[in-house]
This record gives sequence, structure tokens and C-alpha cells, in this order.
Amino acid sequence: MIIVESASITDKGKKRAANEDALILEDALGLYVVADGMGGHRAGDIASRLVVETIGEYIKNSIDNDDCDQTVDFDETLSREANRLLSSIRMSNQVVHAASLKNRSCRGMGSTVSAIYFTESTLIAANVGDSPIYLIRDGKIKLLSVPHTFLAEQKTLNPENAEKLGMEFRHVLTRAVGTEKSVIADIYEIQCFRDDILVISSDGLNDKVSSEEILELVYNDGPDAACQKLVDLANDRGGDDNITVIVLKVKLVKNSPHGINRFLALVKRNSFRILARTKINLMLKYPRVVKCRT
Amino acid sequence: MPNLTLKFKDTTLEDYQLQKGNSLTIGRRKNNDVIIENLAVSGHHAKIDSVADGFVLVDLQSKNGSFVNEQLIHSHWLKNGDVISIGKHSLVFFYSGDEVMPDDGSDEMEKTMVIDTSQHRNMMKKSNSKIPKSLTKGYKNEIVGILTYLAGGNGKIKLNGKITKFGKHRTSDIVVKGLFVGRTSVTISRRPDGFYLSYVGGLSKPKINEKAVKQSAILKNFDIIDIGSTKLQFFTQKNLTKKRKK
Repeated sequence: MIIVESASITDKGKKRAANEDALILEDALGLYVVADGMGGHRAGDIASRLVVETIGEYIKNSIDNDDCDQTVDFDETLSREANRLLSSIRMSNQVVHAASLKNRSCRGMGSTVSAIYFTESTLIAANVGDSPIYLIRDGKIKLLSVPHTFLAEQKTLNPENAEKLGMEFRHVLTRAVGTEKSVIADIYEIQCFRDDILVISSDGLNDKVSSEEILELVYNDGPDAACQKLVDLANDRGGDDNITVIVLKVKLVKNSPHGINRFLALVKRNSFRILARTKINLMLKYPRVVKCRT
Repeated sequence: MPNLTLKFKDTTLEDYQLQKGNSLTIGRRKNNDVIIENLAVSGHHAKIDSVADGFVLVDLQSKNGSFVNEQLIHSHWLKNGDVISIGKHSLVFFYSGDEVMPDDGSDEMEKTMVIDTSQHRNMMKKSNSKIPKSLTKGYKNEIVGILTYLAGGNGKIKLNGKITKFGKHRTSDIVVKGLFVGRTSVTISRRPDGFYLSYVGGLSKPKINEKAVKQSAILKNFDIIDIGSTKLQFFTQKNLTKKRKK
């Protein structure tokens, strides 16, 4: 079991007319998602909202009915929970794609998605698009998501050529949810430790605030204060885009006890009950003696 | 809200104000909002629709066409200072001084957008790449981690799963023997920057190159891993088989 302290803010920023970001924060499910919508005149916010709603509902439903609809496209190399998250992203892709075909004003809309999903003792990070997921562990910040931008992909394939491309290419996505019939998300499942910090954001944050600054702000504050400070900083520096931040702090990772530990845990949990019962038995047997003692 | 000024050559004929949520029609007939009495203008020539915070000019398949800044258009997202030409008349679209203007789309690259294939090809050309086709197509020359047994077993383990569990319990992906080894002792998981080994539970901690791992550490090529009595060596290999599309 993993216990997480969470906080989130979504802000329109200073330049954009509407907020096209969306998020969900489901502590009960251990699910945290940021989606950054785009395309169309008003459709960006529709796309991102559809994405987060579909993922939330899908995860909830598949927990309730025990993943029975997951027989299709099951990836053997991944855990059951990772498959569940992937299916939910595929489902949201279908929903957004269908909506964009149905409604003319929504044509071509799409969204990024970055999700964190906690299992018993691991965390799963999945993403499509360029909304970053950071993991802060041992005072170091690392990216858990894979940016699907033209620039980033060029950098890995061919660093020399990437240098020739200007910064104007940094927002060009090579993948998005809802723009095509199917989508492949990048997914990573890793062991989760106490005091791990996770930050999920939209590009409105990481365009303005460097990862070292994020590390510094998040490390010293609680999730609530950290969210506010990050958004304020991005707005101070122009607030050119919508800004969405989720900050998660892992408070406790408890492996379910087994073997001798399980027995000890049981004894510990029940010791009070056993003590109380013996006391009652004693009271019934020797009412006066016990009374005198108390 | 923005204004529209109807001009004939240099003389101003009339001012109109655009309202959010309302359309405005332009044409020769009397039932238009902006009436231009000129035979070069169609009965219903064009209209301006309010969309979100902006306005869009749409040509209604007029005979002589609508122009914005001397370009023939079918539909055009109006920006401050655009000049619409219909016949010999012109309409100037502008916001009054202190008004908030919607994104004018001039910083199109600032907005997030998805690449389409033709655009993609052009940019690939611009970046002058000599990348083999197979790589650009799949983008997946995935690196696979491989463990070879040095002791406690035989053969190789392919780390194809994103998380591989090692432990005493039979549900572990790799069963490891040893008195103090945890039920799930170690996991190895992929991350964008490589493979990480993490210690999960049990009295004996795993070792990488004789150094105990308390939490999690990145694996380098040819690292030697000790879990209980099992000894493994790690290395990576490029998997050139393309990931099958689902």
C-alpha cells in the first residue's frame, strides 16, 4: 500500500483566453492525470476534459469488474495495472477521435496525457505528448516521461541535426491522444519508495521553470505550497500558456506482510483485543480481586 | 468588441461593431447586415462568425470572391488590422485601443500542435538528416536489458517486461534462493534513461559490484549483481525488431 499526499492547481496563465488543460486527482484510486488539449478553436478544452474523464472512469470500472474487458491487446510483458492504464489511454484516444470526427468544430483536436498510477508497491508512469512527469528521489530530479516532440526525437536520433532546428520546433508533437485512430503510450513501472516526490505538469510550467527550480521549490515545501509557488513563478515569467501542476509526495510504502512478519503483525494488531478479553474473563472469574486492583 | 469600417476607395462609408455570439452578413441584398450596393458584390457575399473570442470571415461562394490583405480566401481568422476587400469596397477589421485581443495565431509555433506526415517530411529535409528509414519510421530502436547467470542458474534473462521481480516467492518473475532473501527482494525496471535496480524487502540487500543497494541504482553495462546466492551480470543490447503496432 502506498500513501500519498497530493495537491494540484490548474491556471489559465496570463495570455491565453481559455484553459485547455485538465486534470484528475483520485487519491482513492491512486490515479493522477494531466492533459493538455490543443487544436480547433474551442476544442482543446473538450479534448483534454474527455481524456481525463475517460481515463478516470475506465480505471474505476475495470477495478470494479476485475479487468474482465482487458483480454484484448493485453501486453504480456507488463503488469496487470500497467495494462489497465494503457487500455484507459487507448480508450480515451478512441473517445476523442470519435468526437472529433462527429463534430465539425472539433476536427483535429487532440490532447497530451501524462498519468501516474500507484499499485501495491510500485508506481506506473505513462505519457503521450510533451507534458512532463518528474521523479525526485535522493535530491535528484529525473524525467519519467518521454517527450514526444519533434525536437526531442531528433536529439536522440541525430544530435547534430537537432541543433540546427530552432526552438520553434519544441512544441511540435509527434504523437497525441485523439488525432489518429490509435495511439501508443510510453509506459514505465518502477519501485516506489518513501519520500519520493512526483511532479506532473503541462508545458506551461516547464517552458518557464527549469527542472532544478522545480526540485528546489518542491523539496522544501508541502505539496499545496509547492503547487502555488510553481504556478506563480511561471506566471511571473509571462504565463504564456495554461499552467497545470500536480505534486505528489509518497508518505508511506507498506509491503503487505508475509511469513513471520505477517504473524507478528497479526499478534500486534490483536494483542489489545486478547488483553481486553483476558481482563474480562478475569473480572468474571474473580470480580473482587480485579476490582480491588483497579 | 472589434469594429468594422466600410470604405469605398478612401472614403469611409459606415462603421459597424461586431458582437460576440452574433454573425454578420455582407452582400448586395437588403437583408444583409452590411449592404454594399455594387454589382460586383453577390447577393449574399460573405459572413463574419463569432467563434470563441475571435471572428472568422467566411466567403459564401461569391462570384467574385472575398480577399483579405489581397489574398483570396474561403475562410479567414480575422486579426487586428486586416483589410477585407469585396468588389471595390473594403472593410477594415480592428480592435479599439485597449481591448484584449484573442491569440492571433501569428505565434502558431508557440502553440502546441501535432505534426502531420507531409510537414514531418519537410522538417526532416530541413534538418538534413541521413537517418535510415527504418529508424525514423518506427522510432523504436528499443534497448533491451539482458542478465546472464554467473552463479545460481543457467542461461540468460531478457528484461523485456518493464518491471521484473526477483524473490523467494514462486510468483516472482525470477525465483532466487537464500535464507535472508525477501519474498520480493529486488525489482529491475526500465526508465527513460536506463534500467534501475531497486531493493524492496528482506534482510539481505542486493549488491551491485559488491556494493549494497539500499534503495535504487542505475545499472551500467557489465555490472555484477548479487541477490542472495545468485550472481548475475547485466548488459544491454539493441533490439532492432520494430515494436509491433497494436
